[in-house]
Amino acid sequence: MRPIPLWLKSGRVQTGLVIIFILGICAIFAPYLAPNDPNEQNLLSILTPPVWIDGGDAMFPLGTDSLGRCVLSRLIFGARVALTVAFSASIGAMIIGAFFAHVAGYFGGWVDWVIGRVVEIWLSFPPVILSLILMVGLGTGLRNVVLAIILVDWTRFCRVLRSEVIVLRQRDYVSAAQLVGFSHWRTITREILPGTLPLLITLMSLEMGVAIIVEAILSFVGMSVGSETAAWGQMIADARQNIYEAPFNLIAPIFAIFFAVFGFNILGDGLRRTLDTRLTQTERS
Amino acid sequence: MAILSARNPILSAKNLCVESLGAKESFPVLTDLNFSLEPGKILGLVGESGAGKSMIGRTISQYLPKGFAVTKGTLAFDGEDLVSMLPERRRNLLGRDIAFIPQEPLSGLNPVLTVGQQIKEHLLRIGLAAGENWRERALKEFEAVHLPHGAALLEKYPHQLSGGMCQRILIAMAFSSRPRLLIADEPTTALDVTIQARIVKLIAEMQKRDGTAVIFITHDLRLASQISDEIMVLYAGRPAERGPAKQLFSAPAHPYTRCLQLANPNITGPRRGLFILPERMPGLRVLKELKGCRFASRCPNAIEACTQTEPPLADIGPNHIAACIRTEKTPDIVPPPLAPGREIASSKIHLNGEKLTKAYTTAWSPFAKRSSFKAVNSVDFTLGEGEFVGIVGESGSGKSSLARLVVGLDTPTDGRITLAGRDITANGHADRAYRREYIQMVFQDPQSALNPRRRIGSIVTQANEASGLHNSTRERMDRAAELLKEIGLPPDASMRFPSQLSGGQKQRVNIARALCTLPRILVADEIVSGLDVSVQAQLLDLLLKLRDEHGFSMLFISHDLSVVRYLCDRVMVMYRGEVVESGRTETVFANPQHAYTRSLLAAVPPDDVNAEWSPVLAEAGYQVE
Ligand SMILES: Nc1ncnc2c1ncn2[C@@H]1O[C@H](COP(=O)(O)OP(=O)(O)O)[C@@H](O)[C@H]1O
Ligand code: SF4
Ligand SMILES: [Mg+2]
Repeated sequence: MRPIPLWLKSGRVQTGLVIIFILGICAIFAPYLAPNDPNEQNLLSILTPPVWIDGGDAMFPLGTDSLGRCVLSRLIFGARVALTVAFSASIGAMIIGAFFAHVAGYFGGWVDWVIGRVVEIWLSFPPVILSLILMVGLGTGLRNVVLAIILVDWTRFCRVLRSEVIVLRQRDYVSAAQLVGFSHWRTITREILPGTLPLLITLMSLEMGVAIIVEAILSFVGMSVGSETAAWGQMIADARQNIYEAPFNLIAPIFAIFFAVFGFNILGDGLRRTLDTRLTQTERS
Repeated sequence: MAILSARNPILSAKNLCVESLGAKESFPVLTDLNFSLEPGKILGLVGESGAGKSMIGRTISQYLPKGFAVTKGTLAFDGEDLVSMLPERRRNLLGRDIAFIPQEPLSGLNPVLTVGQQIKEHLLRIGLAAGENWRERALKEFEAVHLPHGAALLEKYPHQLSGGMCQRILIAMAFSSRPRLLIADEPTTALDVTIQARIVKLIAEMQKRDGTAVIFITHDLRLASQISDEIMVLYAGRPAERGPAKQLFSAPAHPYTRCLQLANPNITGPRRGLFILPERMPGLRVLKELKGCRFASRCPNAIEACTQTEPPLADIGPNHIAACIRTEKTPDIVPPPLAPGREIASSKIHLNGEKLTKAYTTAWSPFAKRSSFKAVNSVDFTLGEGEFVGIVGESGSGKSSLARLVVGLDTPTDGRITLAGRDITANGHADRAYRREYIQMVFQDPQSALNPRRRIGSIVTQANEASGLHNSTRERMDRAAELLKEIGLPPDASMRFPSQLSGGQKQRVNIARALCTLPRILVADEIVSGLDVSVQAQLLDLLLKLRDEHGFSMLFISHDLSVVRYLCDRVMVMYRGEVVESGRTETVFANPQHAYTRSLLAAVPPDDVNAEWSPVLAEAGYQVE
């Protein structure tokens, strides 16, 4: 049997994975886990407090909002939106960013120059403004949220990965692969990509946390999913009116966002510490 | 004064033992170390890597790796025991009375601080005379180590300087406190011969000026015997032999010393064969179980009695001791006969370069004009069938750039290159495919040449993966097993990763990958530098054996002239991108025509300890630093 890889032994990675696992279960099995329909309005019991406070109702463990919708159910269904955005946006940004990073770093010359300048110009826009502009242009909706995050954040991947590719490109084993006749594509995928993969995975995990926050902001301002779908940012927006009567309605989605972002960040940090070749190599030598 | 100091050694070790005390097991790293070093003397410490040379330096500074401790004996600096001394007292001595020069000049300097900031900090720590300005003092110290333009140097960062310059700065810093003891751990291993010679001479000069005692750690016995007063040869953590340098070198008593000496090719006189020390030094864990002589498994003179008890370090002459029960047999160890000189059978020329030029330009940008620099300048060369041609020169002279042109990693900016009758200068797609059949390359740094994420079996058969021929797992495993056998690695190495191999083994894998498709020409770039002489001899032997089997020819790049002399039929000397001299190896080395060749040759420590070594020829124009 193969020994447990070093990165899995890290407490940070384990914590992150457990959190993401919990969120994943919530998202996938939401219809079974949620006690109520997240959109069902119980106008007879609006703004009920959580069950452990006087006046709480066991039917709504975390209480209800101003329309009488079950907060817990909305939280659980909200994980679907959060994780969908987290995964699709970070994978999209990673693919585009990694592609250009590898092309720029591997071929160098004018290709690198052009890609480098595009990234620089892109990065000169503040990301929040850029995504708002994009949202206005693209229109609202979950798919456009994902698209906006991808279009804003691919540069982040590109810039960091490019310098890593340049380091690996100098390795003699890359020259050796070319000499035995590897095509450029094969050299990149077989010799360089395995070396950038740890960094790539780390960046992706951090990007998922970023994507969750961006989605929350956009749904807060009503640019993400429609009101028929539960999303954490939307819950925060809804809870603002009744902040004094039902503070928990505000606290619950904020906590959920914090929990998810913390999970992705600590996973990313743990992976960086254990997978980052620069860190582990200096330890070894 | 001299008589007085002769009685008071500056550093003395008595029965010193250092052990690694692990939770599961402990084993000795240094055993029974006895020596005393008088002021103003140089002690050379010689041995293969892992012998414990660096460990002695670390014991002196009490900067031992985790879990290592002195378990027996004393180590006294000027009468005070360094081991039991208060840490504060020791800190006061280190860097001031005891100075260090590290192996990697760059690792000795902080990359994010300027040279000035670092030397200032050091000078303030060791204390300046009243009213003395650190800057003036720093410039004075730079002048002493012959560093010109000191003021400009202070503003520079370490990475902006060459290895030789960094090492000079470290020497200046080490000597600025007028230390009584200097520990130089392989200070020249990473440097070129010519720079090595200058650095060694510089240490000797500074040492004379201040009367400093020096421990000079090196794996080059010839170099040690040139500059040391006394030499201690270490084998697996225990002294094998200790004695006055000249005597030890001209009449080694311990077989290990003799074998090390014979493993290094000679630079003068008729070429001789190399003694191949088999295998490797046993691991320290194994040694604990071992009863007899720890060298027995590799010793050509070993007999049954050797494996019974550990031979004591016995007197064999004035101040000369050796741990061997059959020292009288040591002179019988002779180098094997030189492989019969092959006459190059056919004069068929494989590879031909005419006026090859490569100019490197700065990074592409549409705005800035790109400046260019000729790394290879109008070089003509030929390589015949079965011929080994050496390329020598200092680092930066264009050797590797020429190699990259030959294998096709770069395209020449000018000139012509033909391979077996076909012009391949353009280096197009078809040229590459054609060239691939003929030429392969063995890279310099095994660390960087082997993908750490591939298994050895997959690395050596990469060519199959590229061509798609014989690319099934079965075929690749079989080919890998064949290749590993040829280069002398066990078959189970196939499943290992590069990090699980030693430096010498990695270099063998590097050779195997190049051999996979049986090319007619190998280009080998510094493939033995930085390795132990024993491993170097094994690899040179392997190359000759493989040539007998496969009959390839080779362009062999090296800065070690004695290795080139041993291995190559012809040699080309490069200086600043140009070939300044070329010809048959014996002729060029016996009768060098160009001043630069002469200064390269003079930089190599001579074979005869009594010969005078005057490495720095003051011939104008050929001083790089
Ligand atoms: N940091 C370390 N941790 C564990 N073992 C070490 C460490 N440094 C050195 N050693 C071991 O100590 C022995 C002596 O090493 P060293 O003094 O570096 O030899 P040398 O300088 O002659 O090459 C070797 O067996 C080496 O593996
Ligand atoms: S004691 Fe025996 S094995 Fe050891 S060095 Fe001497 S001859 Fe060789
Ligand atoms: Mg060492």
